[in-house]
Amino acid sequence: MSATLGHILRRAARSLWENLSLNAVAAGVIAAALLLGGAFWGAMSTLNDAVEVWERDVHLSAYFASGVDEARQRAVLAEVQAMPEVEAVTWVTATDARAYLEERVPDIQPILVELGEDAVPASLEITLRARYIGDETLSDFVTRLQRAEFEELDYGKEWVERLTAFLGLLKALGAALGTLLVMAAVFLVGNTMHLVTYARRAELETMKLVGATLQFIAAPFLIEGAVQGLIGALLAIGALSGLKAVLLGRIQELVPLGQAPLADGSLGLSTVLGLLTVGVLLGVVGCGSAVLRFWRQAP
Amino acid sequence: MIRLYHVSKSYGSAQVLHDVTFRLSKGEFAYLTGASGAGKSTLLKLLYGAEAPTSGKLLVGGVDASKLGPARLPLLRRNLGVIFQDFKLIPNRTVFDNVGLALEVIGAERREISRRVNAVLNVVGLGGKGERRPLDLSGGEQQRVAIARAIVNDPAVLLADEPTGNLDGAMAVEVMEILLSINLRGTTVLIATHDNGLMERFPHRRLRLNAGRMSE
Repeated sequence: MSATLGHILRRAARSLWENLSLNAVAAGVIAAALLLGGAFWGAMSTLNDAVEVWERDVHLSAYFASGVDEARQRAVLAEVQAMPEVEAVTWVTATDARAYLEERVPDIQPILVELGEDAVPASLEITLRARYIGDETLSDFVTRLQRAEFEELDYGKEWVERLTAFLGLLKALGAALGTLLVMAAVFLVGNTMHLVTYARRAELETMKLVGATLQFIAAPFLIEGAVQGLIGALLAIGALSGLKAVLLGRIQELVPLGQAPLADGSLGLSTVLGLLTVGVLLGVVGCGSAVLRFWRQAP
Repeated sequence: MIRLYHVSKSYGSAQVLHDVTFRLSKGEFAYLTGASGAGKSTLLKLLYGAEAPTSGKLLVGGVDASKLGPARLPLLRRNLGVIFQDFKLIPNRTVFDNVGLALEVIGAERREISRRVNAVLNVVGLGGKGERRPLDLSGGEQQRVAIARAIVNDPAVLLADEPTGNLDGAMAVEVMEILLSINLRGTTVLIATHDNGLMERFPHRRLRLNAGRMSE
């Protein structure tokens, strides 16, 4: 068994060396396919991260009506904290709110003096759990939040509606583009492997004519495919890391992504392993199917 | 060693072989002759399993070649040596590697491959040329490489499709003499050719194909 494996590995190594240019083309095509797919996946991940940050920014401000004393405000705060949709609540007293406003907009102070002590109401700043941020669930929550103690509820209804619609569109677009990209990559790699095998048809045909089994012919080809895939994946990883380092900083300057995990410039272990696996699979499956197709056609 | 029973072969509506029946015994030497398009190459293809007959039965070395699946095809070919007019050598491999391929596919050890390849290269007069590439050799030498590859694993049957078709007179005679010497060692040899001069110089049994029908 080990002698057979050694023999297969020797044949694969020799074949890789003898067909260096063909193997380089195959590895290059796999790299291009992975680069395309990886760049798309990276863009989608970055967008998802950005959307998550924006989602976390969706919060409600519930303004207390004038005349609701602090003890009652505390009681309402406890009620709101107990609601399952609520992740966090910050109680902003009228004094705090006024101080905050004066600090942010110094010119407003004379107006506030004119309006008197009740000019700025106390409020609850409510952050929702992510899964309750959808359009309908949020409306439902707002209905249940309504109380006599609140004068106004402000939750940026339009913003939430737009965000939800944008997310839906993004997911649909991503699925369609992703499917197209996978199909294009498989088509590209499959055809390249077919051409690479076709260039070696004399060798394969002769092997079959002298009594080689399909396994004998295919085994070194599969190893070659795996090596092509591995090299292609490594090239794609290098290119993607470079692209990310250059582009992501620029994007972050234009669009604030908060704590987006891709922002550190590295691809991450799971992405690297994923690209290596997909690369090797593309090489092996592409080579395997090309050899099988040849085997069926050869005399 | 080779038996055909009422074998016919058609490609669509074109019938290439009609009800061919013959028998070739162990150690026999025979020519398969006929004009171009008579069906010689098709008959050889049936014998080495590249094509399946439309009807009839053919046995090659005890193997039913008319019902071979893809998995059993290599088993038939390992007991056969086949020589082609266009040699079918791998150009980027050495002469040694080309000949050794027939042993490599049956899982022979490297030492055994080396011993047998060198021995058979001496038989066909190519001793010392193992490291050359096929394209560095003359047509006659390339054909001898193909013969060496066909006989290196001592096949019971040797099939040759116009083996002298691309060679000049002297080289053709050399190749024929090698094939006859192989036959003398007990190998059944069937040569498809339409070279009457060669058949008269080396007279043996002739199987004649005329528009797909066989006669002797």
